[in-house]
Amino acid sequence: MKKLLFILLLPLVLLTQSAAVRLDQSEEAGARIKAIYIYNFTKYIEWPAEYKEGNFVIGVYGTSIPLLNELNKMAASKTVGSQKMEIKNITAAAEAAQCHIVYILADNSSQLADVVGKIKGKSTLIVTDKPGMAKLGAGINFSVVENKQKIELNRANIEKYKLKVASTLVEMAVQVK
Amino acid sequence: MLNLKRTVCLAMLLVTAALAEAQQSKVSAAYSFFQQDQLDSAKACIDAAVKHPETSANGQAWYLRGFIYKSVYNKLEKGNKLSPSRLEALASFKKSIALDTTQENVQECIKNVKYLATTLYNDAAASLDSIDYKIAIGNFEKFKEYYLLVDPTPANIAQKDIAFSLAMASLYTKIFESDRKGKTEFLKLAKDAYNKILSIDPNNIGANYNMGILYYNQAVNLINQSDYDLDIVALNDIQDNSINLFKESLPFMEKAYELDPKRRETLLGLSGIYFSLNEFEKSNMYKLKLEELEKQK
Repeated sequence: MKKLLFILLLPLVLLTQSAAVRLDQSEEAGARIKAIYIYNFTKYIEWPAEYKEGNFVIGVYGTSIPLLNELNKMAASKTVGSQKMEIKNITAAAEAAQCHIVYILADNSSQLADVVGKIKGKSTLIVTDKPGMAKLGAGINFSVVENKQKIELNRANIEKYKLKVASTLVEMAVQVK
Repeated sequence: MLNLKRTVCLAMLLVTAALAEAQQSKVSAAYSFFQQDQLDSAKACIDAAVKHPETSANGQAWYLRGFIYKSVYNKLEKGNKLSPSRLEALASFKKSIALDTTQENVQECIKNVKYLATTLYNDAAASLDSIDYKIAIGNFEKFKEYYLLVDPTPANIAQKDIAFSLAMASLYTKIFESDRKGKTEFLKLAKDAYNKILSIDPNNIGANYNMGILYYNQAVNLINQSDYDLDIVALNDIQDNSINLFKESLPFMEKAYELDPKRRETLLGLSGIYFSLNEFEKSNMYKLKLEELEKQK
């Protein structure tokens, strides 16, 4: 009959490559969870009247780029009542006194006592990220329970700074005394 | 009476022979038209011949039909990924192989099946996009059906099945990633494709790794799409769901690691999964392994 053409199977290899995983995706997701918690704190905790003017300042004591990015994104899209949110990366305990919330990252946990010393007479909520910190002066401490990000809450450590905490938040936290 | 019976029988034989000759002449006519490149007439004659009971079981007629339709495909339908003539040609060569008791044309039929099946495969490969992917699937299934005549080795067909399914899964993932909220069905299709590969070859590194990544990305996206307004109860539900997805991801990524412990992406994946499960020691362990690997380079 007629001449047969020679033909080859085309390779499919190039079509099977997938995008590589980015480790910072996990860090971003972890930071997102923390940011959502922090925004909840602003809803369930009430600051004294004199703290309801100007910007609502959240200080981050330590270095975490994903967390700072998340908090800045949150600040750009949300408010606390009528107050704009301002995110500060603080580098000294004294700066905590200018914040509504100071979040001491795990690597800076040793600074907790200093921060406690600097915010006497102020209304600053101390948030930490290391086991045992709620017993050492933090109002709220992030903790992990069965792989899940949870919070421990020490009511006394919140209220001694003239902050009122809603019972809803207390019920959703592991209480520490 | 006996004479009458003999006469009738003879008459019937003569009619049958005449009809058979008529059908054979249709085959001859088809061949003649084919040689003159009058493909429409060749088709009409050969189609009539293979439909007639006298020649429907004639391997030569089907063999010729295969060539006629192959010519139609090559001349008129080469750019048509859904070419009906290509399928007619393949079906004809297959039928010819089945009917060819003398084995006279079998090798030639197989060569032609190989050529046409390969064009199906290549058209399938060329259709791997968000618009034509169903054509790709249809052509690949037809390719498999006919390629078995060329190479009946199950392992070889399985390899082609794996390569195609990997490509399909990758395409489904790409479509899903283009619109995560609107095209969720493609996530399921991607997972189904990887599961199909793993049912054939549980040690396929690509399928294990990509399946792990699918679950991992699903978990990460679930969290990253959450609004800051989410209350803590709803956040807990999101965390539960994402943890389940990270846990689904883990065995696939661990299997990929077991199969190739020095693959950078897998170490990153495991570190990321354990980080998301808040198991930081394990996350750091894989991070360190990755750093050691990078130092060796």
